[in-house]
Amino acid sequence: MLRKIKPYLLLFPAIITIVLLFFGGLFDGFLKSLGYFPAIGETEFSLKAYSSLLQSVAFWDSLIVTIRIAALSAAISAILGAIVAVALFMIQETSKSRALNFWNRLFQLPLTIPHLVGGYVIVLLFMQSGFLSKILAAIGVIDQIPDFPVLVNDSFGWGIILAYAWKEAPFVALMVYPVLARIHKQWRDVSRVYGAKNRDYIREIVVPAILPAWTVAAFIVFVFTFSAFEVPFLLGVTYPSMLPVYSYQLYSSGTLADRPEALAVNLVLALLTVLLGLIAYYFSKRWNVLKGWE
Amino acid sequence: MRKLALAAAGLLALALGACSNEANDTAANKTDDLLASDWETIATEAGGQEVNMYMWGGNENINRYLDEWVAPRLQKEYDVELQRVPVNDAQDFINQLVDEKSAGKKQGSIDIIWINGENFKAAKDNELLWGDFAGKLPNFNEYIDPDALEVAEDFGEPVEGLEAPWGKAQFVFVHDEKKAAEPPKSMDELAEWVKENPGQFTYPALPDFTGSAFIRHVLYETTGGYEQYQQPAADIEDLEQRLAPMWQYLNEIEPYLWREGETYPESLAKLDQLYASGEVSMTMSYDPALAASEVMKGRFPESTKTFLLEGGTLANTHFLSIPFNSSDKAGALVAINEMLSPEAQTAKLSPENWGDLSALDFEKLSAEQQKAMNEVDFGTATLPLEELEGNRLPELSSDYIEVIEKGWMENVAKD
Repeated sequence: MLRKIKPYLLLFPAIITIVLLFFGGLFDGFLKSLGYFPAIGETEFSLKAYSSLLQSVAFWDSLIVTIRIAALSAAISAILGAIVAVALFMIQETSKSRALNFWNRLFQLPLTIPHLVGGYVIVLLFMQSGFLSKILAAIGVIDQIPDFPVLVNDSFGWGIILAYAWKEAPFVALMVYPVLARIHKQWRDVSRVYGAKNRDYIREIVVPAILPAWTVAAFIVFVFTFSAFEVPFLLGVTYPSMLPVYSYQLYSSGTLADRPEALAVNLVLALLTVLLGLIAYYFSKRWNVLKGWE
Repeated sequence: MRKLALAAAGLLALALGACSNEANDTAANKTDDLLASDWETIATEAGGQEVNMYMWGGNENINRYLDEWVAPRLQKEYDVELQRVPVNDAQDFINQLVDEKSAGKKQGSIDIIWINGENFKAAKDNELLWGDFAGKLPNFNEYIDPDALEVAEDFGEPVEGLEAPWGKAQFVFVHDEKKAAEPPKSMDELAEWVKENPGQFTYPALPDFTGSAFIRHVLYETTGGYEQYQQPAADIEDLEQRLAPMWQYLNEIEPYLWREGETYPESLAKLDQLYASGEVSMTMSYDPALAASEVMKGRFPESTKTFLLEGGTLANTHFLSIPFNSSDKAGALVAINEMLSPEAQTAKLSPENWGDLSALDFEKLSAEQQKAMNEVDFGTATLPLEELEGNRLPELSSDYIEVIEKGWMENVAKD
């Protein structure tokens, strides 16, 4: 009997934590977004926060910016990640395992750096009075510091996209590379026999093989950047801000009575994230990331 | 099988709940007695307690002063261990306390909080503070005049002993003498200066504390003085119209700000960074000696100076308080008392440590203690104490600040 319940017992602490902290927090936020807030004497439910949110221009501006930045970050990091993975794959064929190991580690490096630190690195490097701008001014590429393009805290969001592209590309590569590593060496030889050049080989064999895993990875990046806070807080503009920052602004300015709206933003975010997650899950199932390998 | 496991878990939870409830009740009774007991008893009880102090952690000097000056002394003299818990904004722990209160948590982890203004008002309104404790502290009774306006009121809100003054701050502008030789003396002159030097000035985006304080100066100067705002915001019927000249002023200078006002630094730390790297020529601080200590550290240029407006700048008192559910209230009392001692306040005054103005009544200090305070070296970037003293404006009560912070997003940032 012990053997039967052992897995459950082992899972118990993790499940309790998740249920209590995650779902508990979500549920609490949901109640408060409906205006139920006993600590300040509000015990009635209403959809007021949601209706005023959906009617505010700031919310829609913020949503558009969020979608734009998340989509671009996902697209750019997906392309970079795929290039890295394919490059690693090509190196694997030609070089010794030690060199391969080195490149592998190098590309994995950004994975170990927290987003907040990564964001701050981008600030220090790319702001107009930043490291890069000062070097360029010193060697005479630009005349003075303000000539450096505005890449951080710009209203388009390039700073945020840059940070995510740099941070997430290795993640995409990490998702794609194992699939590539499963491609048998012989396939390459066979393709050569049939006269395929490098380019044909990549197009006909490598790309179709990685496509499912690659799309799913890009989707994960999209969903993550959609709801993350610290990078847009550091690198974004005051207005319009990305949704998580918008929620923070609502939450931290004004009175306790403004909190339902801030939490409504979070709930909308959570809902959209779940929806996007379901779509990603659907595609990964349908395309069966590892189809044809087993 | 599964049912059994569930039942077991349920029982366990019940048992745990019961235990902690009991512990809570006795602890609560004990701490309520604390306000009635004498200082000796409190000091004895504090021995061995671990006190968690939740405070804004954005300044290394302040952090170091607590970790390296205050904490070791508390440990040595009272066996009280002071743990500093840094937060980004005082609002964070107010939020936490609100949550703990609605969850019925009686044994919280927060023992001391560093607050004032709107956060004090929020804490007081929601009954998040322990009680009238200031009068218990020997150093408060000896060195502080409880009836002085800056001690009895916090941004217009009566303090009622719920918090003890820790220090005073005054708003100053910081400029680089080489880039702005003659700094503006009023908001009108600032507007002119900004227009003549486009891209060289900005302020932190609200709700940043310092950015919000900057805007209050604009309010006072563009709408005709602070006197009219000494009543509750709700009593002024045409408040929105009265605020209009302030929004107009801010929108007028916006195109000449850093990055053409397209965005604002999200924090004072970012603005300081911009100033330190030479991207803008001015920054600001609600701490008159901060610039001096940044110069000492080599972060700000040597030519950094501070200036006030002719009409004066905002000054306020910041306080220490104890939350309703602190687990180590005796330790918290001892720690706060120690931070109000003349020695701790003199050390705090020095820009090397922090440069924060003393909360004590200078007249009540002994000749020796006065001398020690007068001997503190403020560096070249700090204005003389008399000049600061003579140009103080009262703070605005927090109901206005809420209106202004919300209005800024709508009226200035969005446009």
